[in-house]
Amino acid sequence: MFDIVRITVKGIFRDRVFHGILMAALLLPLIPSISQLSMRQVTELSVTLSLSLISFILLLLAVFLGGTSLWKDMERRYTFSVLSLPITRTTYLLGRFFGVALFLLITAAVLGFVASVVVTIVAGNFPPDRPVVWNNIYLCVLFDAFKYILLLAVAVLFSTVSTSFFLPIFGTISAFLVGSASQQVYDYVHSSSGQVLSPLVRQAATALYYVLPNFSAFDLKVNAIYGVPLSTGGIVLTVCYLVVYAAVLLSVAAIIFSKREMK
Amino acid sequence: MAAASRGWRRLARPLAVTLLLVVCYGAIITPFASYMRNKPFVEKLGTLPRVEVLRAIAADQKQVVAEGLILDVLMYFGGLLGKEKGKVVVPPDFQAMSRLLHGAVQLDPYNMDAYYFAQAILVWDVDQVKLANNLLDYGMKYRSWDWYLPFFAGFNYGYFLKDYPQAAKYYMKAGELSGNELFINLAGRYLNESGQNDLAIAYLKTMAKGAKNKVMWESLTTRLKALEAMRAIGTARDAFHNATGRLPSSVQQLLYAGYLQEIPKDPYGGTFYLAADGTVKTTSNLAYPVKKKQ
Repeated sequence: MFDIVRITVKGIFRDRVFHGILMAALLLPLIPSISQLSMRQVTELSVTLSLSLISFILLLLAVFLGGTSLWKDMERRYTFSVLSLPITRTTYLLGRFFGVALFLLITAAVLGFVASVVVTIVAGNFPPDRPVVWNNIYLCVLFDAFKYILLLAVAVLFSTVSTSFFLPIFGTISAFLVGSASQQVYDYVHSSSGQVLSPLVRQAATALYYVLPNFSAFDLKVNAIYGVPLSTGGIVLTVCYLVVYAAVLLSVAAIIFSKREMK
Repeated sequence: MAAASRGWRRLARPLAVTLLLVVCYGAIITPFASYMRNKPFVEKLGTLPRVEVLRAIAADQKQVVAEGLILDVLMYFGGLLGKEKGKVVVPPDFQAMSRLLHGAVQLDPYNMDAYYFAQAILVWDVDQVKLANNLLDYGMKYRSWDWYLPFFAGFNYGYFLKDYPQAAKYYMKAGELSGNELFINLAGRYLNESGQNDLAIAYLKTMAKGAKNKVMWESLTTRLKALEAMRAIGTARDAFHNATGRLPSSVQQLLYAGYLQEIPKDPYGGTFYLAADGTVKTTSNLAYPVKKKQ
């Protein structure tokens, strides 16, 4: 499996999709000048913009690499040669997943480092009212990477059931939007103003909330930007959630992939 | 050589077409840009969708969307100030500005820019003090460490609403959060209405000192200059009153009697005068003259 992980990471570095998406990272050095538009929170704005850009780049990578990785192999019939090797399909699938996941972590680390340089420059020129809480910023980038690793698992699951790249790409984007809003919908449905909805709608929304991935849990931007304290218990629970949810998705994907007919 | 010129000849037509299209673009871009520049504010932004919808669409980019809304408001306001040598010609659409700021703080309740803009502009130029105080109370729930918000609220209660117990309460809070004795002193002084002008000046100085944005800084220092001019006249009036036992009838009388070196200019273009009870006032009412858009 480690060979497949290695091959996957190497392959991505040569991938044109990756090169295109990397262009977006060229915006990072522009952040110090854009941040000066803020009236009272220049440093905070630089943190906001850096984290948003990192999150956006990781989203694109997760969707496009996750959605096309398996599909490309099948389209180019690489799967035949790979699966003739003495490895199971599950190993192959997991290898691909962990390869892209590792790549996301590497990208997050590199972009996080560049962002910390950017924020340091801005904070030096425009000292913020409250000191920058670096641990929260690093944790926020790490959890962004976790969030997109979970999304990657969704993309891999879609890839195993689909014969084209449409479902993996657009299905993953939809899953991201729905999963980011599910907490708000749940909160609204259970608030006093949500009581006007019919009980059926409320129950359906609650059921979906438990089934769909909850991406808002991984969003630590407020803690990173404004130095709002984090809860250790919440952090640990979120990591457990990621591990269990991704494992469920991957095991379903592995079952489907093993049963799938390769033409 | 011949092959090269043949190659160029084959390209002549597409080149001509491209050139023609570039000319067309040149013809249309100027009217297009002027149309976009003159579009009304609300049209420019479109109307804001409901906050719940906005929050769902924004996914994990809520903070950026919120800051974007605030910068839209700031640029709109800055654009108005920039026209006609600093005089506001088009009446600003304060309703739309206020709506956008409220939307922004619901997306990102921690964003200081929104509270700051509301306090620096909306409170002074429109009678939205109560609305601003609600906004500040909302912000205090989130920015629980920030002494600026109770400082703003205390000022609003004291200066605009003349609710001195409330003003003192918020100044005390600002004093506790900042550890700054000044605010606690202000809280006490606020109970004394005579100190109002001094307080307003102290307040505006604090606001202007932290203003990193040029438009904001100019707006605040203009107001500061006007208030300092009014304080100078007020001091002269008091001196006149102490010496003669009666109130001066006009600002000019203070000049002739030697209590003023010169009559200060109102940076808003108005004229200072003394009301019947001796209060210093100005015909500009501390705002740029607003003309209706032609």
